[in-house]
Amino acid sequence: MNFRIQPRSIAFRLIVAVLAVELLSAILVVVLSFSYERHIHFRAFDIVLHGRADSVLGAVQDANDPADNVMLDQADLHLPPEDVYAVWDEHGRLLGRSSNWQDTNDWQGVAPGLPAHPWGDFSQSKVNGRRYRILRVQGSRTVDPGEHGGGKLHQVTILYGSPTSHVWHAIRGAVEFYAAGSLFLLLVTGPLIAWLLHRGLLPLRQLAALASQVSVDAWQFSPPENARSTPELAPLTQALETVLKRLERSFQQQRAFVSDAAHELKTAVAVQKSSLQLLNMKRRSPQEYQAGLERCLADSLRLEELVAAMLALARAESSTHAEGPAPSADLAECIQQAITQLETFAALRNVHLLVHLAEEPGSFHAIAKDSSIGTPVLRGHGGVPSGSRATESPGDDSALAAEGMQGMENPFPQGLKPGPSHPSAGGAAEAAPFQHNESEHPLEIPVPMAPEDCALLLSNLLLNALQHSPPESTVELCLSVEPQTAVLVIQDHGDGIAPEALPHVFDRFYRGDPSRTRNTGGTGLGLAIAKALVNKAGGSIHLASQPGPNLPSQGTTVTVRLPIAG
Amino acid sequence: MRVLLVEDEVRLAENLAAALRDGPGFAVDWAEDGLTGDDLAGNACYDLIILDLMLPKLDGLSLLRRLRARRDKTPVLILTAKDGSGSIIQLLNAGADDYLAKPFDLGELIARAKALIRRGKGAAHPTLSLLGLEVNTLEQSVRRQGVLVDLSPTEYRILEYLIHRPRVIVSKQELLEHLYDYNWEHHSNVIEVHVSNLRKKLDAALPEADPIVETMRGRGYRLAAGLPPGLSSSGPDPTPPPTAEPGL
Repeated sequence: MNFRIQPRSIAFRLIVAVLAVELLSAILVVVLSFSYERHIHFRAFDIVLHGRADSVLGAVQDANDPADNVMLDQADLHLPPEDVYAVWDEHGRLLGRSSNWQDTNDWQGVAPGLPAHPWGDFSQSKVNGRRYRILRVQGSRTVDPGEHGGGKLHQVTILYGSPTSHVWHAIRGAVEFYAAGSLFLLLVTGPLIAWLLHRGLLPLRQLAALASQVSVDAWQFSPPENARSTPELAPLTQALETVLKRLERSFQQQRAFVSDAAHELKTAVAVQKSSLQLLNMKRRSPQEYQAGLERCLADSLRLEELVAAMLALARAESSTHAEGPAPSADLAECIQQAITQLETFAALRNVHLLVHLAEEPGSFHAIAKDSSIGTPVLRGHGGVPSGSRATESPGDDSALAAEGMQGMENPFPQGLKPGPSHPSAGGAAEAAPFQHNESEHPLEIPVPMAPEDCALLLSNLLLNALQHSPPESTVELCLSVEPQTAVLVIQDHGDGIAPEALPHVFDRFYRGDPSRTRNTGGTGLGLAIAKALVNKAGGSIHLASQPGPNLPSQGTTVTVRLPIAG
Repeated sequence: MRVLLVEDEVRLAENLAAALRDGPGFAVDWAEDGLTGDDLAGNACYDLIILDLMLPKLDGLSLLRRLRARRDKTPVLILTAKDGSGSIIQLLNAGADDYLAKPFDLGELIARAKALIRRGKGAAHPTLSLLGLEVNTLEQSVRRQGVLVDLSPTEYRILEYLIHRPRVIVSKQELLEHLYDYNWEHHSNVIEVHVSNLRKKLDAALPEADPIVETMRGRGYRLAAGLPPGLSSSGPDPTPPPTAEPGL
């Protein structure tokens, strides 16, 4: 057996426990056997004493004297030499005694005439310095039973004692035998149990050895079949497998991210470096230097954007929440902020932003102040009542937008045209409707996100929609409230996303159409950040797309569901 | 020389194209994705292909494999942002000639591009000499018998192309294809004017010598024709034209 058992190991503890139990049982066996043996031996001894006492009684004979007395005839008594006896008649006359019982003090209290138990009384006494067990019995002897009057009845009292040392000797021998047997068993079973335990714990050790081989570079963990089929180990094995798989996946994701990030960063740095080197290649005019420096600045802005997006993603994906109260942001307010922030961009791209806010399905709040503007709106959203009100966010600088709008086929009633400079609006809505709305502030939808996260989520989603929208199209944002859930739908009417690209849109650095998004300066992280933020808040994000040219339903719809806090 | 640049990062491509045009005076065509790059490379008029690895539609490695599967011998310089020697080995084994890791040095890129073009045409040294005619591709200067000849950029590029292929008739079409990118309107008479100017300037440097650029009527141009091959000092080995160029 070439195994070693560490102190404090499970095997060691089990062995110690089993041996302790064995030792306890050995002690019990010894105690029980002692009492049992004592009982048995003394019963036999008592019977022997009775028999010998009866022999003594048999030696009581007619004395052949006129008074019909009895006498003890010791000639025919063959008793063990160390035994002692004494016989009295009913008058207390000593009829006889064994020669080795001299000390008359031993007889005190056993005087004849005292009533005796039918089976006799036993007592312990010391005779000649040895322990004796003494039986006191009474017997009767009739002298001349054939005579007239039935003879004469004599009551005799017999004291018979025998030393107990050999009984104790026998008992000790038996107990010693049991104790030695138990000890022998203990010595034999100890190593046997150790060996059996060692074998029995083999699956556990194998599992531990396999688990210890798992490292960052080697994720292979194939538990042995016996570990999987052992009821005690199966949960552990499963847990290990699950944890390792998850860890491996997250490690792979992390690696992929680092690799992708490195690629993006290196490319961005390469752009900047090449811009500077290109500028430095030859002597150039001040105008050329000016333009080159501006390009370099734009390049570094892009790099800055990329780094900021990476950091935002890392922050959004870290599951650890900062200490302090649970974060909460007003979704409606964040939408307003995001709209304000992106108005200029939308106007520059000549894309209209349309916002519908509904506290609950069916009851939309008027956001546009002027009811003549806001009455007949909304197409395309099922479940939105036709009488609901909506608004577009007009660009600050909507001259551009207005110019573009004149030529387009207008899906909206003329009265709805946003922007102060639109001819038909005629100044009905002079300022951004949201600013009017702020005083009323009809909606407050608290969601469990930090306000800056919420703003980032909205600006990412809106920016994405705007970037993928052709000029003259509309991006619609619809917010409705279900019980406990805020539902935010952002719809654009861009080219849509190819079905094969759809599963990857939330991947980091994934670009559905790289040439386009590169041109629009996207970092490829916007949707990944959005998803991480929504996941962190316990919500869900879903993207559906209808690619294809010139379909009315063409475009991409992002649906975000966020739990309402509080 | 004409270079195909396949790179999806717009700003980087702009910078590279500008540097290649400004520096060594290459004609640069730019493809934004792998499939376009593959299409353009199919024209077989490039002296070098600069290829990014991470490309939309068709990645750089696949493009390279397609290229080599077609027995296209154009030198390929890979731009990679990937780490690890494994991918580099894979690239070189797939037929790449050289690689540069991003972010690279623009000067190094240009030097490597020149070296690859030179090697692709069988020359080892950046200074090409043929019959007392010396073309320094680094300084872009030309000397005939030690006398500096002042050439316009286009004249220099024509001469640089011709000196890589001595005693081979180079058609006007071939010259056009290798000196101008696809944004250029192909007018063969532009070439004629430039070649005529080039010949005049070279001959003016050494009036008593034979004309060094010959016009083969209806077929094209030839540098140092009729001279025995042994007379070329350190010039490139005379190699037969790889493909039959369409005659004029």
